[in-house]
Amino acid sequence: MLAQDLINNIVNIQFWLSSPSLLYNIIGIVLYIIIVFILFSVFGYLIGWLERKLIARAQYRHGPTYVGMWGLLQNMADLIKLLSKQDIVPEKADRVLFAISLPALLALSIFIILIIPYSPNLQATNLGLGMLIVFVIIAFTPLLLFTAGFSSGNKFAAISAQRSVLVLLGYELPMLISVAAVALIGGGYSLQAIVSAQSGYYYLLLMPIGFVVFFIALLAEFERPPFDLREADSELIAGWLTDVSAPYYALALYLDYARMFLGSIIVSILFLGGWLGPSYLPPLVWLVAKAIAVSVLVILIRATAFRMRVDRVLRFGWLWLVPLSLINLVMTYIIFVK
Amino acid sequence: MIRMAITRINVGPIHPSTHGVARLVVDVDGDTIVNVEPHVGFLHRGVEKLTETRMYMQAPPYMEKLDYFAPMAYNDAYVAAVEAAMDIQPSEKAKYVRTILLELQRLASHLVSIGTLCNDLGQMFTGFMWAFKDRDIILDLLQEATGSRMFYVNMRLGGLHSELPADFEEHAITTMNYIEKRIGEYESYIEKNTVFMERMKGVGVLSSEDAKALGVTGPVLRASGINYDVRKNSPYYAYSKLYFNPKVMLQGDNFSRYKVRMMEMRESARLVKAAIKAMPDGAATGMPVKLRSPNAVNKVSVVSREVPRGECMMYLVADPQKPYRLSIRSPSMVNLAAISHIAKGARFADLFSIFGTLDVVLGCVDR
Repeated sequence: MLAQDLINNIVNIQFWLSSPSLLYNIIGIVLYIIIVFILFSVFGYLIGWLERKLIARAQYRHGPTYVGMWGLLQNMADLIKLLSKQDIVPEKADRVLFAISLPALLALSIFIILIIPYSPNLQATNLGLGMLIVFVIIAFTPLLLFTAGFSSGNKFAAISAQRSVLVLLGYELPMLISVAAVALIGGGYSLQAIVSAQSGYYYLLLMPIGFVVFFIALLAEFERPPFDLREADSELIAGWLTDVSAPYYALALYLDYARMFLGSIIVSILFLGGWLGPSYLPPLVWLVAKAIAVSVLVILIRATAFRMRVDRVLRFGWLWLVPLSLINLVMTYIIFVK
Repeated sequence: MIRMAITRINVGPIHPSTHGVARLVVDVDGDTIVNVEPHVGFLHRGVEKLTETRMYMQAPPYMEKLDYFAPMAYNDAYVAAVEAAMDIQPSEKAKYVRTILLELQRLASHLVSIGTLCNDLGQMFTGFMWAFKDRDIILDLLQEATGSRMFYVNMRLGGLHSELPADFEEHAITTMNYIEKRIGEYESYIEKNTVFMERMKGVGVLSSEDAKALGVTGPVLRASGINYDVRKNSPYYAYSKLYFNPKVMLQGDNFSRYKVRMMEMRESARLVKAAIKAMPDGAATGMPVKLRSPNAVNKVSVVSREVPRGECMMYLVADPQKPYRLSIRSPSMVNLAAISHIAKGARFADLFSIFGTLDVVLGCVDR
């Protein structure tokens, strides 16, 4: 009975959670955690590998080739190296803040991961305000980076902290306005509803401007070039990560990739129809495939982009992104709602 | 307006963008640079003093390590100073071969400059790797001609270590055609990027008066609108016989400095081809290296050369068999000193693009 259910409903979390049996509920929770963990650790890892390979190819290099097939295990080797190194906390650092800022960033990411649906049945809980909550949590990130930057007592990290707040001013508003347009035609803030509303046309086709604005804002949010001002390696050494060492740095690297994958999933859900697709592949596969496609785009941008300056980011945000997102909102309202 | 306290930031000597071991002490007011103070000397090896303890032709290996991106240019400047002290004239063929090799060296050096500039502007090593790949092709040529890729030590009194190999000319011309094509690719790839142009145009302006007063030379000077190129103003080797124009830009900003280098690369490729076509017959090999070289006849010789980074001057006070005193005017040193003037008032992020366009090599700064 239980074995039969397990085989039939391995990714149907709603089945387990809605069952009256407590045992089934617990199994559901455990299954969900395992699936999401695999999703983000495996694909976060693979995206890290893909980034190294793709950027290497753009630069006439091979990228990792030695460890494992096609260098697949290179990141694992780096992880082991980082974990085996000494964790140094700078003398001037605020020890508590310094120690908790990266784990807190991980926790925030996990919050978002738990709220997002991955297929019609693979979601912890279908919140009516799911999308709002996701963006509220995302908005916390710069705050954390700010404290992280100031906690290490390094001047480069402090500059990075100031920049994270300035960049926030540039992109947060257009991101939220373009998300509002999605909510306008998606009929609410439920991510499930937004995806099912795209069964006709993906929102990428209905509001391309909104997609571009959102994509650019998300690049800024997840510190991808050309908005990697916080981590600016040629200016600030490593920005807020300058004094971060060993296991924390491994965590930071993992978060970098995992957050990029997470951002790609959010883009896929909001604009690319999430898990919708021809039925010969399961929904989850479609979502992951779309997310990987978005990630590849992000990676290729990283391979070619020059870093923007802080004042230019603000200028770009307020002169282009905000008006464009407003135009998108108004056009969406006039064309699709009215 | 709220004024933040002025913060002193120590950039380097260990920093990804200082191209070596420069240390810049930067005072910033918020994001605006109030003062930059370059500190030098981390790579000081005492090259000038070392030459005093060596015979004449034992010194070139030291000269090559001055500027590890254009070693041959410095080697040539030193050997030319020794030749002037001994009243030796290189053969006509040797002059052309030196011109070709020096222009190849300039190409290789400018490619590094463009590549590292891309990196300083926050690109993830793509322009850097592209430039290094093309530099590698030029190094292949230099290897054919001299047998070495990095430190050549191929200048001899009155000529070179060896003749050019038989197929060098053909190979050089195909390579130069390829490089010219690639320079076009770089330009389309870099200059169509709005972020790049925004960060380069109008940033780090050095006016022509200031450029003169600060004594900068090379591409940095020509980008400020002053038409001064040692190759043109006091020609040496085959430069007087080959047609070429120094490249000048008027704005004096980051973009001009970058663009002057781009144009010089085209000009160098053209010069190499022209020099190969006009090369006379004869022997290019100079005197073999022996501990005892001919006695120096002139007490003092001053030789000025346009190396990729500017004007390198060798001031040699000669004893008969070894330098009594050698003083090197390093263009990198003077250009680096200009940063405290140029970067004043710029944004902190622009400090690195300014540093990148000045294109200093710390081995040459610290000597």
